[in-house]
Amino acid sequence: MKIGLEVHVALPTKSKLFCRCSADASEEPNTAICPICMGFPGSKPMLNREAVRMALSIARALGCKTPSNISFLRKIYFYPDLPKSFQITQLEEAVGREGLVEYKERGVRIRRVQIEEDPAKIVRGDEYTLLDFNRSGVPLVEIVTEPDISGEDDLRDFMTELRSILYYLGVDIERELKVDLNISLAEQRVEVKNITGIKNIADAAHYEIERQEGLIREHRAIAAETRSYNEEKMSTVQSREKESNEEYGFIYEPDLATYDVSDIVPEDPVYATRIADSYAKGFHANAQQIREAILFNRDTLRLIDASKDSNEMRIVMNGIAILQRHKALDIEEGEFLRLLELLRNGTEIDAGIIRRLRLGEEININMRANLDELDDEIRKTIENEGALIEEYKSNKKVFNFLVGKIAKKYKASPRYVSERLRLILEGEEKGHRAL
Amino acid sequence: MSSIREFSKREKPEDYYLRLVEELKKLNNSLNAFSVINEGLSSGMPFSVKDNICVEGIETTASSKVLKGYIPPFSATAVERMLASGFGFLGKTNMDEFGFGTFGLNSEKEARNPFDEKYVAGGSSSGAAIATSILRYHIAIAESTGGSIAAPAAFCGVVGFTPTYGVVSRYGLIDYANSLDKIGIVARSAEDIEETLEIIKGRDRYDTTCTGRALGREPRKRIFIIKELMEGVDESIKSHFTGFAERLKGMGYAVEERSVSGMEKAIAAYYVIAMAEASTNLAKYTGYKYGLKNEKYSEHYNEFFTNAREHFGIEAKRRIILGTFIRSASVRDRYYYKALRLRAELLARMEPLLEEGFVLAPVMPIKVPKIDEAKGLSPLEMYKADMLTIPPNLAGLPHVSFPYAYIGGMPLGAQLMTSHFNDYSILGVVKEWERVFTYRFRYNIGSL
Amino acid sequence: MDENEFERLLAICRIRLSEKEKPLIKNDIEEVLEYFNMLDSVDAKGRVAYQPVEVEGVMRDDNVEAFGNVAGMLKNAKTFRFYVVGPKI
Repeated sequence: MKIGLEVHVALPTKSKLFCRCSADASEEPNTAICPICMGFPGSKPMLNREAVRMALSIARALGCKTPSNISFLRKIYFYPDLPKSFQITQLEEAVGREGLVEYKERGVRIRRVQIEEDPAKIVRGDEYTLLDFNRSGVPLVEIVTEPDISGEDDLRDFMTELRSILYYLGVDIERELKVDLNISLAEQRVEVKNITGIKNIADAAHYEIERQEGLIREHRAIAAETRSYNEEKMSTVQSREKESNEEYGFIYEPDLATYDVSDIVPEDPVYATRIADSYAKGFHANAQQIREAILFNRDTLRLIDASKDSNEMRIVMNGIAILQRHKALDIEEGEFLRLLELLRNGTEIDAGIIRRLRLGEEININMRANLDELDDEIRKTIENEGALIEEYKSNKKVFNFLVGKIAKKYKASPRYVSERLRLILEGEEKGHRAL
Repeated sequence: MSSIREFSKREKPEDYYLRLVEELKKLNNSLNAFSVINEGLSSGMPFSVKDNICVEGIETTASSKVLKGYIPPFSATAVERMLASGFGFLGKTNMDEFGFGTFGLNSEKEARNPFDEKYVAGGSSSGAAIATSILRYHIAIAESTGGSIAAPAAFCGVVGFTPTYGVVSRYGLIDYANSLDKIGIVARSAEDIEETLEIIKGRDRYDTTCTGRALGREPRKRIFIIKELMEGVDESIKSHFTGFAERLKGMGYAVEERSVSGMEKAIAAYYVIAMAEASTNLAKYTGYKYGLKNEKYSEHYNEFFTNAREHFGIEAKRRIILGTFIRSASVRDRYYYKALRLRAELLARMEPLLEEGFVLAPVMPIKVPKIDEAKGLSPLEMYKADMLTIPPNLAGLPHVSFPYAYIGGMPLGAQLMTSHFNDYSILGVVKEWERVFTYRFRYNIGSL
Repeated sequence: MDENEFERLLAICRIRLSEKEKPLIKNDIEEVLEYFNMLDSVDAKGRVAYQPVEVEGVMRDDNVEAFGNVAGMLKNAKTFRFYVVGPKI
């Protein structure tokens, strides 16, 4: 099986690709528009340098060769959402070509990375359409892969890797994602268009693979065709493409120039998967857990980086999980290191403690690091409260009363105390750091 | 003294603009120079704007039915700069639809020659040239893609200047062919043109291709006549043109014949590029964003667009179809890229020549034709009438068209071209010429 | 160019011709295309001039600046609430 992708993502610039309108398409319809992005006669495009820089960063992060000169083309096709009836895009002199994305010890080749403009948002009606040109002209990057993806799982892995690389370049794939899939199980290549959102990619691929498998089982021919994905029905249907490659009629965009981009400094890429793997190896920790934590979270990566000398990846990951629950991953590195210290001491971390950490308050914990003392105290309490102890097995309240009493005295985490108490009561005396 | 300075100095009667507009409206009925006349004009040296250049709030259609009702929400940079310099907007001038024409006939209202209404005014900036020929104090902002300033200027006996590509911002110009379009000036003297160019030229944050480069005045002692260009020129013109060359010799220029190979392919290359680009520029007219609207939104978009696009004139349709064909992937190398290569070749051959001297040629290979004669031409014959204006336009060279003789009461125009960005130098030659030759005008509306 | 190719070409550019115009325009086009054939002899490896002068590729900074006349723009279209009305898809 061969799967190739064309992935379109929006670049987070402030202004649009060719005009100074806000690129925030969420404003009231048709407020962030001008003659350029609405294709009024007489308007001319002016290229946004930041969009080029971001696109070059993406191309480089995907291992592409990046040229010293880029230029643009007009791709002509008619559709109500395309104000000029041509899209300004790239082909030969695109920002990147011949790249490679590596993940899980395999690779997908990238054919091309190109900059292009987004069409308008179209709202379908029965008797008309409604158009919002706020989105028209938002900078997009199209990433074209070679048909190197081998199946549904691989597709998911590739998309995760791509999404993570883009995330670290500041591009949120969820903001706008349009994908065309090429799937061929046999000889004929089927193109599935109009897939939006990350979830639909897997669904569309799944449906299309099953459909083609079905045809093969029944010894029926697979037609080389273009299909479009229907999100509601979760199926693909044949679509009549109006223009073919022969008919797009590309010409050089004569209102723009050939741009020397050799002096543009792209962003350095971050490959979270590789980092997770190296941490996992270095600290004998679970790579999958680290990966999940850092793939789409630069705060997590930052905190792990800051605490990597601690050599206790489990506590680090626990700290991150706690911060995630409290939506406090933006904590500063120094504060995080103190938090890890508290965790090591068996302190219960709650919202109050996180708040105090961030305020830079000193948090006094009497018992400090001496957990053996705590165990001794528990034993002492068991001896002193001999009568009560007999009841604990049948009465939960009694148990909790004891826990509360010890925790209060030592300002320790009730959860930790209850764990120790239970273990000691049950005569188990091992692994006192197990939380 | 330029008429611009003269106008600003002269006392004007209180009802000057009222009378100017009244007289203009009357004459316009027979000549069709203007598509819109600004009746509210009350100050400033009058300037007109070709109807493919946007003026905020004024209907701008490029003479096309598909743009009927289009009210631009902004003005072209050139227009803004004229207004900011105190010029008064007089109106929009007639033209061939989208600039597609050599004679001014591809318009709802046929342009007529001010010397004789039976004759064509030339195109596509027909109205700009007529307006200049009939108004005593006036500057026309016009546009040339393949000769649209030089041709009507020659036929109407006025001075038409097309600057180096990129010198004047195209922001606000309704595109015909972006790599060929130049906003230029039609006036009654080289001096007026020079002063206007000073105002409208220069870098613009709305046009990438517009440059802020300084324009040269480098004089040349030699004038070249290109053999290949003269080959298609009508015999009835040749003797007059030779006489003109002799007069230039008398003014101290060495006139020499030169040969430039590849020149004969310029028309084909020009029309390939022009049509390829035009067919993309015209794709945006689909009947719902601006201009003439197809109100039947319930039609499927393909049907809707096709119905809206029926309102293009026949020449526009021809160019859209041809342009679309030559852009097809399978023939693109054969037409589009070959044409772009020929342009590079021609530039490489012309550049060294133009460093040595100016190039001189007649503007049109024929005398001013009657309207009926022009109508009888096939499209290809019409395209070939541009044979002399195409080379400088294809190569983006600055060139100026000016009257050098009159035959049978009709003017003959010559054009001088020079190297890129040496724009002022050719205006200098025309200024010299204007000292020894007096242009004729049949009307002088707005005289003081 | 055969009839089918010509019809396809018309469909691609969304241009409709009357039955009377079709053969005339087709003939014009064929005549012009034949004339264009003289470009065959142009060197296929030569430099390409996309523009007649070298255009310095100046890019703009990523700053937002609102267009001042959105209302004037939208007056040119038919609008419904804030939307521009377009044909059915």
